[in-house]
Amino acid sequence: MTACQSPISDGTLLDYWARDLSDDDETTRVEEHLFACGDCSARLHEMASLGAGLTTLVRQGRVSGIVSRALLNRMQRDGLHVRMYSLTPGETVPCSVFPGDDLVVTALRADFSAVESVSLSVMGPGDSPFSRIENVPLSKPDDELFWAMPAAVVRQMPSMRLELTLVSADATRAELGRYVLEHSASTPPG
Amino acid sequence: MHTSVDSSDGDLARAVAARQHDDAGAAENELYRRFAPRVRLYGLRHLRDEDAALDLVQQVMLVTIEKLRSGSVREVDQIASFVLGVSRTMVKDQKRLEWRREKLRETFMLPDIVAAPAGDAALDVDRLELCLGRLAERERIVVLLTFYAERTAGDVAKELGIKEGNVRVIRHRAVERLRTCMTSAEATPS
Repeated sequence: MTACQSPISDGTLLDYWARDLSDDDETTRVEEHLFACGDCSARLHEMASLGAGLTTLVRQGRVSGIVSRALLNRMQRDGLHVRMYSLTPGETVPCSVFPGDDLVVTALRADFSAVESVSLSVMGPGDSPFSRIENVPLSKPDDELFWAMPAAVVRQMPSMRLELTLVSADATRAELGRYVLEHSASTPPG
Repeated sequence: MHTSVDSSDGDLARAVAARQHDDAGAAENELYRRFAPRVRLYGLRHLRDEDAALDLVQQVMLVTIEKLRSGSVREVDQIASFVLGVSRTMVKDQKRLEWRREKLRETFMLPDIVAAPAGDAALDVDRLELCLGRLAERERIVVLLTFYAERTAGDVAKELGIKEGNVRVIRHRAVERLRTCMTSAEATPS
């Protein structure tokens, strides 16, 4: 086999895989090339493997950070056990993780009407930084932001108080809400 | 006639069609090795299901070999187009009705060539988890929506309130960063 003389660009391969090519003719052209070209087919395989790996991670609940509502819905439809805590600004909520949980999600409610993106800081005991997430795009018209942690990680955490602060990601850094999670360590079985 | 990896697709197809005992067996194996991953990718892209994609591989390759053996493939030099055509037809059929895979397997079981092609088992998901965690928040959300939730750029754009073009740029950059991270020694999980 000879090396590909006119390789398909990575962007086109990605668009093909994500069903984002502009029309059926372009899809046909890409598929004809892929069936005749081992090099490009191997590159698509590498991309598809990454995608399969990402799916495996999500299905194992190994996702940290902000998740969108669509992502959350899909996870629940796929049978992931999601432990959800919902907080309004100023609220303190006790929380823990239970056997069988895959993912712990904190839904932070706020008025997002005047902002495009937000940043979240989470402080642990003694004002120690626990997590910081910058510049998260918002799903409009949602009034909730979902912060996820793998249940396996939460299970390792001792009892502690977590203080969460949401601010706008623009230059004003306007505060949108403060929240407190009172986490109780899970009891080991037996 | 050599059936090494240097043979063209057309040479391999001709060897199968000629049914010269030793060469034909080796040519069938090489054709399978070469085309099975491409058919699998096509199946994954259109059916979004690993099992269905692997079934498609078996059916397409069995039909291809049978047609070559019986001399029904008129242009053996265009064998890639033939395999793509068979793949298309079978995916269409599968979408229309529950198909007859058990019957086909029973009738055309060929132990030498029905082994499943290599899947994604080799991907290091621990490393991928680490690499995913290194992406910017919006990159992470976009790749998860693309690969796990199977959303198009347009869907993701609506979900995140950003432009479709931006989604493509973010997606492309995120995949590149994941690829680079996956091959960098620095990302090895401790």
